Amino acid sequence: MFEDRQDIVERIVSHLRRPARIDAALDERVMQAIATLPRPGGGRGARAVWRWLARPRAFAVSPLGALALAAGLAAVALVLPGRRASAPPTEEVGRQLPFVVIAPHAVRVSLVGDFNDWDAARTPMRRLGRGSAVWTTVVPLAPGRYRYAFLADGSRWLADPAAPVARDDEFGPPSSVVTVGGS
Amino acid sequence: MRPLSRVALVCSGVAALLAATAAAQDPRLDRLTPEARAPVATLLDSARTAGLPVEPLLQRALEGTTKRAAPELVVAAVRRLAADLGRARSALGFRASPAELAAGAAALRAGAPAEVLVALRRSRPNPLTVPLAVLTDLVASGVPVDSATAAVLALATRARDADLVEFRRAVERDIALGASPGAAVSTDAIGFLGPSAISVPGPHGHQSSQPTRP
Repeated sequence: MFEDRQDIVERIVSHLRRPARIDAALDERVMQAIATLPRPGGGRGARAVWRWLARPRAFAVSPLGALALAAGLAAVALVLPGRRASAPPTEEVGRQLPFVVIAPHAVRVSLVGDFNDWDAARTPMRRLGRGSAVWTTVVPLAPGRYRYAFLADGSRWLADPAAPVARDDEFGPPSSVVTVGGS
Repeated sequence: MRPLSRVALVCSGVAALLAATAAAQDPRLDRLTPEARAPVATLLDSARTAGLPVEPLLQRALEGTTKRAAPELVVAAVRRLAADLGRARSALGFRASPAELAAGAAALRAGAPAEVLVALRRSRPNPLTVPLAVLTDLVASGVPVDSATAAVLALATRARDADLVEFRRAVERDIALGASPGAAVSTDAIGFLGPSAISVPGPHGHQSSQPTRP
């Protein structure tokens, strides 16, 4: 009985050991079937990346490293305003406006106002001719309303007699107002 | 993370923030007197936070400093202008440009009611800088506020900026020639728009219908 069974087992084994015939197109069919399956990445991958990015982490940093980081941030903050300040202040120039004042005894006259940061060194005026009492300059102005005054010899303030007076003059010496229209 | 490192990180972050704030401060503030610098910087920060234009405030501070005004005068002027800019923004709306707000603040300071700014905003699609400036200048020339307001409101709906400026010049010329400010504004408004286009309160409050050139 045992021998019979052994014989059967050997026949089964020998049958199974025979090389199987595989269809030549099997590989292609398998690859096509794989191609139709959903990709394992896609939404789940993005979610995984987001989870990885959003997951809180604890990290150690030495005081020296933190100070270096702070110094780097401060350096960036210092550089950025400097670049902004270096932009020309008269980018949106509207009109070239002439300014004229009569100051017979002045040696030097400056035009100061909202358009040049009230800096007497920025817009010096020129005599109309040698020995002339008429001082002139031309300033490019964008549309807007500007307060200004003339400063003679660094100490004497003169309002523009040809322009409206600035009503809210809180500082004593008078200022004038010029309005540049856009239409 | 060790507690000491965490404290160091927080401290360095605060230091970086303070450094960045100091760096972002306008270098023109250095021209102010030491007494005025800090209060003005605070006012500028408050204005920036409120969405108000900072440049007019800084220019007012620089004007006071160049004119050698006392620091407390400079600070008070900047504070007053900041309040006026806020009122102008309330009247002109959040879309108002910085130039419009500055002109609106000057008009309010000159005595124009806030309702006039609201009416101008409704009546004119173009920028309001020049109408507001002309209104301010007229009042500064001695034209009664109600006369100046009526004239500018009537002109603003149809006049170009250049026409408004020319109107102001005409009024000032007439005043210089001897006309009363109220009569001058009535006459020139009628000259610009025609007799039926405008009813400007006369110098004594009643309507003016006849040209009154000197």
